[in-house]
Amino acid sequence: MDAQATSVLNRIIRRIPNKNIENLLKKWNCLSAEQLRALDYTRPKWMIVEHVISFCEENRLNLKHITNLEMIYHIENPDQGTWYACQLAEAQDDAVCVELTQFKEHFKAHLHGVIRHISIKMKKHEDEAVWIRIAWGDNFSKPNHLKPTYVVHHLHTSYVFISNLVAKHKIFLCQALVIATKHGSIKDGHLSTKSLTAMRDLLLRRYQQAFPNEQSRILQDRNTLSSHPCIGKEHSDHEEMRHQMSCEAFGHGPSPKLETAVYRLETRYRGNGNHTLSDREEFFRGVVRFSSSSLLDSLRHCVASGMAEGPVTPLLSAITQRGRNYFVITDKGPGVSSQASAQRA
Amino acid sequence: MQVFLPKAVNQISWSSTHFMRVIRGPDSECQRRTPPSVTAAITPEGVLGHLMALEREGMGQQDQHESQRLEMLKARAVTLRAKRDQLKHQTDVVKILKDKISTDLPLDDDAAAAGGFTELQKSLLTAWRMQLKDLQRAHHLIGGYDLVECKEGKSVCVSFHTAFEGVYLETYNMELDLTRTVQISRHNIPPSFPLESFAKQILQKDLKAFLQTLSQNLNALAARRRQVCLLKELVGSVEVMESNQLCNILVLMCTAQSESPKAVLCTLEYADLTQCLPTRVRIECEDKTLSQSPQWKKNQSLLLESPAHTAVLTMRRMGSIA
Repeated sequence: MDAQATSVLNRIIRRIPNKNIENLLKKWNCLSAEQLRALDYTRPKWMIVEHVISFCEENRLNLKHITNLEMIYHIENPDQGTWYACQLAEAQDDAVCVELTQFKEHFKAHLHGVIRHISIKMKKHEDEAVWIRIAWGDNFSKPNHLKPTYVVHHLHTSYVFISNLVAKHKIFLCQALVIATKHGSIKDGHLSTKSLTAMRDLLLRRYQQAFPNEQSRILQDRNTLSSHPCIGKEHSDHEEMRHQMSCEAFGHGPSPKLETAVYRLETRYRGNGNHTLSDREEFFRGVVRFSSSSLLDSLRHCVASGMAEGPVTPLLSAITQRGRNYFVITDKGPGVSSQASAQRA
Repeated sequence: MQVFLPKAVNQISWSSTHFMRVIRGPDSECQRRTPPSVTAAITPEGVLGHLMALEREGMGQQDQHESQRLEMLKARAVTLRAKRDQLKHQTDVVKILKDKISTDLPLDDDAAAAGGFTELQKSLLTAWRMQLKDLQRAHHLIGGYDLVECKEGKSVCVSFHTAFEGVYLETYNMELDLTRTVQISRHNIPPSFPLESFAKQILQKDLKAFLQTLSQNLNALAARRRQVCLLKELVGSVEVMESNQLCNILVLMCTAQSESPKAVLCTLEYADLTQCLPTRVRIECEDKTLSQSPQWKKNQSLLLESPAHTAVLTMRRMGSIA
């Protein structure tokens, strides 16, 4: 095993807590049963790493197997690093008929065509997600496996989730995706999170949404058993209305765990004082940032408890409706630049 | 009849009697003292006498009238009470009938006839029928979909119900913004569905056609997905090798029953997304003779003509596959 393989393996094993190493190695299925039994997970990390390296050399494993291990690790633990969402646009008529093998072939063919040294690995997960690991090289040097880019795409949707991509490789990746999925263009989705699961749940609508139909009027699952029969709620109608409003804007039940929402202001300052609009020509630049361990839950609670006035401002409901958490607000109105990216599919 | 005596006459009569008493006091002296002209005035045949007679008449008639009136009023009260009771009874019957009609309970024709309420029943039923027809017409105008108004008329919410083989599957909702042009504001349709292309093609021109197309495609998608689910339950007979979110391709592996069990790969392609049946079926096997055999040709047509899970069950029953 060469130096790069050992360093990649080193990095993987160092990252995982000892108790999870065993499961990962079992899933990897490259070490024999006796080897797995021989590993002692109570030892310090460096010892475990050394043992695994020696077993790999025994089994004559190479970089390919190691990168496979890394991919398995990332698929199991997707909520690491920062993920960005991109949206494909201008679907061609036969975009719906794109098959997995077709996609794989076109993607690989394009990238191999533009960059001489590149290593691409694709895996399809059970939940219809295609995971792609790309180690970039260039025309002279070998692919760098220590800084791979991960791309996740669900076929036939227009979303692509990317992690760890540098600017100079972005254009190649975008071109390859556009060609392989038979779309016209790809643009920034204005959504970035640490948790891929949260991003996927939000964009692929894997959370429960509330709609104002007769059936879903009864959204309240308040614990009426705990309240005393002699206690009557004075404003129960208002409470229900607020609850309905908050659920319509931010979803019902467990919501995707977004952490931040950023609003960049490019507006002019309009104070209450004697300053007139003509005085201030330059923008009052500011950034409003909302942070929370679960942003959508907190916003929902704000609206449901009455802290934020209803109806829910489109600035906040655009997080779920448009599927983004980065907005630029200009003087023409808050919706202008977010409308530029149009409604999400 | 009420006799209306002017007030003045009453006063005159009172004063005339008073006058008469005053005059008649000591009878003999009055008559001796009064001149003959006055005597003529106070005799019963004169004006005052006339007035007195009128007075007597009036009083007497009033008494008559009063007792008459009293009786009349009593009789009227009795009739009114009877009518009130009858109306009360009728309203109760109407209420019961209306409840029965709206909750779809069978109406008892005999009981109605016995109570004399057949006409009433008929008219209630007709009214209810007209109401339902109006509702149906309104429903038809919006394409037969349940549209719920929200945000004070600025947007409407549509629901699409999907079903397959008599089983209700998912319900999809969509909110349409109606402020300037009709635009989709939010929805919970799965992202692999080509909603954007439908919206671009049809939504602006014809809302009803858009809703219709959407409903058709969503129903087909739900049907295909349900077939995959049911196939996955048939463990042992068939294995689902490949499918996708849109369910427009399905690859199944079955084990053919022959001298030596062989693996057969069936590829079902659904090129028409409005249908729940495949447009093309390919049968592949290592053994070429098996895939060309008439039995498997029949299986191929089975897969083309019936839903996948039914076809597989039939194939299993016929003994083609394990």
